[in-house]
Amino acid sequence: MLHVLTLLVAALLALPLVAEAQKPIKVGMPMPLSGPPALFGDPASKGAQMFVDEINAKGGVLGRKLELIVRDSKADANEAVRVARELILKENVDFLVGTLTSAEGPAVSVVAKENKIVFIAPIPKTDQLTAADKLHPYVFRVAATTTMEGRSAAEIVAKWPVTQVATMSFDYAYGQDVTRAFVEHLKKIKPSAQIVDQQWPKLGEQDYNPFINAQMAKKPEAIFSSIWGGFFVTYSKQAKALGVFDTIKYNFIGVGEAATPETTKSMGADYPVGIWGNSYDAFYWGETAAHRDYTARLSKYLKDEYPSSWAIQGYIGMQFLTEAIRKAGSAESDKVAKALLGLAVETPIGPLTIREKDHQANRGQLYGKTVKDPKYPFAIMKPVTYVDPSRFMD
Amino acid sequence: MPDASFVFAQSLSGLTAAMFLFLIASGLSLIFGVLRVLNFAHGTFYMLGAYLAFQAMLWLGPGPGRFWLAALGAALGIALLGGVVERVLFRHLYGKEELYQLLFTYALGLILSDAAKIFWGTQQKSVSRPPELAGSFSLFGATIPQYNLFIILLGPSIALAFWFVLQRTRAGRFIRAAALDRETLGALGVNVTALYTGVFMLASFLGGLGGALISPMRATTPGMDTEVIVEAFVVVVIGGLGSLWGTFLGAVVYGQVLSFGILFFPRFSIFAVFALMAAVLIIRPWGLLGRPLR
Repeated sequence: MLHVLTLLVAALLALPLVAEAQKPIKVGMPMPLSGPPALFGDPASKGAQMFVDEINAKGGVLGRKLELIVRDSKADANEAVRVARELILKENVDFLVGTLTSAEGPAVSVVAKENKIVFIAPIPKTDQLTAADKLHPYVFRVAATTTMEGRSAAEIVAKWPVTQVATMSFDYAYGQDVTRAFVEHLKKIKPSAQIVDQQWPKLGEQDYNPFINAQMAKKPEAIFSSIWGGFFVTYSKQAKALGVFDTIKYNFIGVGEAATPETTKSMGADYPVGIWGNSYDAFYWGETAAHRDYTARLSKYLKDEYPSSWAIQGYIGMQFLTEAIRKAGSAESDKVAKALLGLAVETPIGPLTIREKDHQANRGQLYGKTVKDPKYPFAIMKPVTYVDPSRFMD
Repeated sequence: MPDASFVFAQSLSGLTAAMFLFLIASGLSLIFGVLRVLNFAHGTFYMLGAYLAFQAMLWLGPGPGRFWLAALGAALGIALLGGVVERVLFRHLYGKEELYQLLFTYALGLILSDAAKIFWGTQQKSVSRPPELAGSFSLFGATIPQYNLFIILLGPSIALAFWFVLQRTRAGRFIRAAALDRETLGALGVNVTALYTGVFMLASFLGGLGGALISPMRATTPGMDTEVIVEAFVVVVIGGLGSLWGTFLGAVVYGQVLSFGILFFPRFSIFAVFALMAAVLIIRPWGLLGRPLR
């Protein structure tokens, strides 16, 4: 009898512990879900959600479920900060994974530092986020950086038989940083290259005609552009009408994901097929079994035959967080932050490692020349190559 | 000194942008001129016009002239939407404080643009240039897309048609009279209610047409409404709210300042436009061709 009672008491005492273990691990995600940047924010949040659903179906991590709480950051630094604070104070999230623009990322990083909460940025590229003076123990990035992207593009352009190069970028952090990285690296590896013109339309410009005319008057042989997302659709339609691509013989590289399947799909026959571009992911890449499997799952999850190339960033962000929790054996930010240092993860895109030095993952991108492929009703990059940025990282 | 062909190309691209803006801004100006409401939802009508054109293109499938059908259909659809909005909602705004009107039209724009997002999602949509005007030609050393030339010619045609309707027709006389004194016009037996609906539908038609016609040159995305409303607003402020030729002039000035601004202040051409607006507001608060309000 006494034996039974002891057991009962022990069980009762253990209850709160069990309850604690059952409580979900909450992850807050500030992400633009409205306005043009929702083009990427929306699928990125869905990629994260797919990862969460999958891991929960397998019993979660450390026996606890993951819970993702997504909030609209409106691609605005102030709003992202407000949302991040709210997620921490009201929702009691354990971690932050999110933000999209190069304005939001560094702003939310400050909130993470104040609250000593691990923050993984899956999309912002500005070098500022993990620069020595801004780095703190809780901020990590699984996106590419402007340095990596600019230099990767310079390596490609350096091989072209051209010397007169022009640039077209938005006049703000991302556009300036990636263009500077491109120009500096190009001059280093190909001293004969000259920058004959640089145009700086404002972020979100809708009428590129004056910029294109001014640029073409300088007779460039090649153009580097970092006009991103839906803005690239607008820019390239206007550039095509003015004969830009024919004039420069398609010696054009569009970073800022100008060659994503989303963009080529939406433009159809209007896409300037023959230019170079990049993308975080492409459903047709399929280099590894892991990627093919991921694409099939995503396609089912999004109910889209040609699933988004942005979902992967939310997915990888959550993957790193989960692996770190598992490695740390705890959901405490201090321990998870330590576990993230040097953490290597097998992602659908390949093995990635977060460097101890600057908390930056060696996340490269897919690059390639766009061609028409009879298999698809839109252009694809072919051959498409994953450019490992490790050698471009300072 | 930039060469002549470049100056020519630059002025034409400024003119193309101007004629688009005129299409949008003329509707904004017309509603303000007659109904005395600053319709901030006008930009959303423009965006919906672009989305409707995209949708109509899908429905129509491949075939000759489908872009023109889609554009016209989209503009008519937006005119209908405008009619409903005026009958059901705007009706209650006339004569109210400007602040209420502003808040109301702004909120309406937000609601409609969110509705568009539910319907069309967040992915950018793209419409091709109509095959009849897909090419370009060379003139004085400048490359000019045929479609741009069409827009450049369309702007003045619409302005002239507008002028003709307003100055030379019975309906136009009523519209002008309604702008001056609604009550007297009503007392004279004119159905002012129907007139207001008609004016609103016409303005919405122009907004929707602007959106549909711009879709071959831009991406159709959420957020294009707020961008255009600011530009259209600057145009009508420069030209004079409620003035047709003022709006036309405002649009031309806006386009040229933006086009040539980048030659002189490459990174500040947008600043030049706002500086111009500020100057106009200080010197002629009623705009270049507007009339002072009492």
